[in-house]
Amino acid sequence: MNRSPIRELIRLRYRLLWAKTRSRNGKIALFVSGYLLLALFLGLFGLGGYKAGVAAVETGQAELVAQIVLAAIFLQATLSTVVLGFGIGAVFAEKELRRYPLTAGQRRMARHITGIVDPFWFLVLAANLGLVIAMYALGAASLAAGIGAMVLLIPSNYLLARVVTQVVDRLIMRRGGAIVLMAAVIGLSMVPGMLAQALKKDPTLGYRILKGLRWTSPFGAAAAMTRHGTAALEGVGIEVAWIAVLAVLAILMERLPAERQQRAAKGPLAWSGVYERLGGLFGPGQAALVGHWLRFYVRNMRFRAMYLLTIPLAAFLAYQMGMVSRHANGVFVAALGAAPMCGFLCTSRFAVNLFGYTGGGFRRFLLMPEEPAACVRAASYASVLLGASLVLLAAVTWIVLAPVAWDTRMLVMLVSLGVFGLFALNGGGLWATIYNPRRGNYSSAIGNDLSASGNALLIGSIIGPLLGINWLARHAAWLVSPDNWWMAVALAAAAVIFYCISLRKIAARFTERREQLMAIVEGRA
Amino acid sequence: MDAIAVSHLAKKYGQVVAVEDLSFRVEKGRMFGFLGPNGSGKSTTIGCLTGLLDPSGGEVEILGEKFTANSAALKRRLGVMPENLGLFEPLYAHEFLAFVGRMFGLDEATTRKRVTELLAALELEDSRKTLSEYSTGMRKRVAFAAAVIHSPEVLFLDEPFESIDPAGVALLKQWLRRFTEQGRTVFITSHVLETVERLCDEVAIITRPGKLVWQGDITVLGSDGAIEFEGQKFRTLEPLFLHLTGQRYADLNWL
Repeated sequence: MNRSPIRELIRLRYRLLWAKTRSRNGKIALFVSGYLLLALFLGLFGLGGYKAGVAAVETGQAELVAQIVLAAIFLQATLSTVVLGFGIGAVFAEKELRRYPLTAGQRRMARHITGIVDPFWFLVLAANLGLVIAMYALGAASLAAGIGAMVLLIPSNYLLARVVTQVVDRLIMRRGGAIVLMAAVIGLSMVPGMLAQALKKDPTLGYRILKGLRWTSPFGAAAAMTRHGTAALEGVGIEVAWIAVLAVLAILMERLPAERQQRAAKGPLAWSGVYERLGGLFGPGQAALVGHWLRFYVRNMRFRAMYLLTIPLAAFLAYQMGMVSRHANGVFVAALGAAPMCGFLCTSRFAVNLFGYTGGGFRRFLLMPEEPAACVRAASYASVLLGASLVLLAAVTWIVLAPVAWDTRMLVMLVSLGVFGLFALNGGGLWATIYNPRRGNYSSAIGNDLSASGNALLIGSIIGPLLGINWLARHAAWLVSPDNWWMAVALAAAAVIFYCISLRKIAARFTERREQLMAIVEGRA
Repeated sequence: MDAIAVSHLAKKYGQVVAVEDLSFRVEKGRMFGFLGPNGSGKSTTIGCLTGLLDPSGGEVEILGEKFTANSAALKRRLGVMPENLGLFEPLYAHEFLAFVGRMFGLDEATTRKRVTELLAALELEDSRKTLSEYSTGMRKRVAFAAAVIHSPEVLFLDEPFESIDPAGVALLKQWLRRFTEQGRTVFITSHVLETVERLCDEVAIITRPGKLVWQGDITVLGSDGAIEFEGQKFRTLEPLFLHLTGQRYADLNWL
């Protein structure tokens, strides 16, 4: 096989990354949020793996701890790619590669090799290698075998993430696929609880599960690094077998005909004013613009999937964190932490990058007989309106399904934190839209195409409140007590004020920065 | 009153000069061709004339009013077909046109009537495709429809004929002629010099970076006449354009 074109494509991948440093913003984004964060994470991940390695040897159960750590990293990496889109964005699409003199096999190799050299997979490798180094230092593993096992683990992790994302991608594009996904998330969210119950009844189940898991890739890697002779070779064999199976699966998935976005059958011309009527809630002058943005959101398959998944995901996180919480009212406290994401998660991709997905359409807004910032406001109103519907739905879900005793004050607190998340994060989204926009692909169902600020807001909207409220419950429990319910209301009011101020302040800045925005969203900067 | 009056217009992107000291006027009711080689600043000039871009210097007056990014009332009197068409890809053509119509102040009944008529005239009635699925030519037709749906007084068209089939071009030309006969103004950029020659009354030619090198009436070409410039006679627009912008010869012996 002629590898020269593939080598050139890998070079081009990094040249394109480097090209981003030519602009001032690109320099800041790449060096600060890119390399510095990478160095920080490499250190942290490596140290985390190292500490786990030390613990493994100290407890005398090196292989067991290695199995658990590697499986956790493996699962987390897969989830990060599927949920947040890290490490899975196609650098070169098949269509783009067809213009080069490459065979189908070479194109496939080029796509996957340029995909696997994504910095995200280096982070995962760093975490895995931390474990190897610790165990080698303490005499519990062979360095060469450990490094080899970890290097083999990355392709199988990458390929599994590819297969899962392709399945999710196809489901999202199919009519009713989002409901299947929602059912899958709800089903998966029940597994830990059911497993805990089953383990209580039958303590030998854990051993049987571990025995079954030894045929998985991370367990194979653990065996390869901690065992000797045939047993170690068997571990390597398991890893190689998984790579082969997943590669075949990935190729088969790629060969399936592409899913087309499903649409309702339409007549000659279907005139629908429902979005405009909803937009009219913000005043008759806003009806067309807000209606346009509502249509823009709702027509996106990824938004639709996230709309259905947000409440189950929040409920899952609240329930799981509540179960492990030491707080007397753990589920309620965890629900408080999950509430802010309810009104934001589904719209977050657009809300933090309002124009990033409009492409050439952006300049149409500037040609309209309106003040330029009217389109920013309308876009944000649409996001708030859609998010608000989920805050209401979350409240109803709590009323109907809350697994603990509750009173009205608790409901007020939950709704208030939902409102807080809705307005605080949409307010933040306005600033990210203006100062850190990024050109994205409206149709992509998978992948992370947000800017550093966008990602900070998105990830912060999930992790920040969940961990923050948990921390408050441990160190200042009175703050999350229903007796002080009014504090949550005050927080919500503060978020509304922040949002209104942001809307006002953003108008002038948008007009000033519209040319830079236009260049970015149209792909000229 | 002039439809368009540009005085010492300048536009810089950082240190890069895109348009430099550009001045010209376009009378009402004229079909005005704005020509220049690639990268000469045609689209930047249209951007400054339509409020998309803020000029770095000079003045722009459209229909007697000074133009700024916030000139909402003036924008209502303009129709623009931008360089990149400015379409919202996830929408169907009728949804997009209805949105534009409503934004430009048309009532719902008028909007629907005009959208239906425009789509029929431009053969864009396949309502199962979103704009992202349209061919380049079809997308151009939609962008043209969006520019004219509110019957503007001045129409800016950035390369309107490229990628459109001959029947479509003939239809657009017919509409544009009727448009100017009613006293309205059309400002066109194009690289299809033959079409410009047959369609426009007046032409301005610019070179890099956005410098005017010639402006004049070209109706004489339609009656087998010639344009005289620097002692030479030009019977068509192409040799004049090449003379003004510099003809280039490069021999690639491997080609």
